[in-house]
Amino acid sequence: MMMTDPITCDQALDLLDPWLDGDLPPEEAGRLRAHLDRCPACAAELALAGRIQRELRALPQPDCPPEVIQRVVRTGRGEIVPFPPRTRTAPTMRTTRMRIAAAAAVLALAVGGRSLFVHLQTQRDQPSPEQVAQATRDARLALAYLGKVTRKAGLDVRDEVLEKRLVVPAARSVSRSLGEIPAAEPRKEL
Amino acid sequence: MLTAFEDTAQRYQRRVYSFARYLLSNREEAEDVTQEVLLRLWRHRDGVDEERLGSWLLRVTRNACYDLLRKRRSEAAAGLLGASLDDGQTAEVASAEPDPRAHAEAADFRRRLLAALEDLGEPYKSVVILREVQGLPHREIGEALGIPEVTVRVHLHRGRLKLRERLKEGYP
Repeated sequence: MMMTDPITCDQALDLLDPWLDGDLPPEEAGRLRAHLDRCPACAAELALAGRIQRELRALPQPDCPPEVIQRVVRTGRGEIVPFPPRTRTAPTMRTTRMRIAAAAAVLALAVGGRSLFVHLQTQRDQPSPEQVAQATRDARLALAYLGKVTRKAGLDVRDEVLEKRLVVPAARSVSRSLGEIPAAEPRKEL
Repeated sequence: MLTAFEDTAQRYQRRVYSFARYLLSNREEAEDVTQEVLLRLWRHRDGVDEERLGSWLLRVTRNACYDLLRKRRSEAAAGLLGASLDDGQTAEVASAEPDPRAHAEAADFRRRLLAALEDLGEPYKSVVILREVQGLPHREIGEALGIPEVTVRVHLHRGRLKLRERLKEGYP
């Protein structure tokens, strides 16, 4: 049996790529094997590298759908024009901003309009429970719509943010209009 | 002339399409890129050296994919896209493991490997796909990507290392 010079872990890892590529001369391969026999860490590294390579080589190499080739051939013959590249339907920033602005406008209209209505009512007499319930329903509807629109626009607006920035201020606005809290009350940070 | 073009298109369509498919991790975009590349071949059919046709097609494919990836990144930066576009079809590799536990482990390994490949940055991703998935020699990869063979080996070494590091995460 031929004796081989021992190699270090660094030297063994340097031989890993030539081993994967099948470029390792027999003598070097013998030194690598001898090192792996007494170094579990390098043996595990080489086993993982080999497994990754086997998995990648086993991946399918799919054919292009024949209709794509036919489309190219017919385009070459001048029979048709090629399909334009498919564009993904992500909304533009402009569209997103417009949707949010529209939702905010709806929200403001719903909450502000109802508050104003209730406020005007309170000039004559106290609002009825039905009016209060209606104002609450309107505000919730507008908030639900805002949440739906922002989700459709792909924006992640957390519920607690909606709660802190919209629900509570809107509820406070309604309450002020109803005269439940004084208008001059300083705003509490939540 | 058209028959010769059809022969060429048929001969190279798989290499072009699968390269685009693994680079983009998206079937429809890979089809669009293949159409674009083959149309470019049609327009330049008289100006491309037959011997270098394979490398030329891969380079054109890589550039078309880069354009799409740049566009995708700018859309992702604007927060308009999800992180992954993989439609999962590339993961359809049958496992030969008869034992259900080994089968599940093999499937999990493959899933994590595909995720690691998808996240592998350039130029490592192109080199790993061309070498490990398509089995091209280093010289041909260098011609396709316009880099020296020694650079291909360096990129391949780093790409393999990154994949191993990623697959070791969470598996002490």
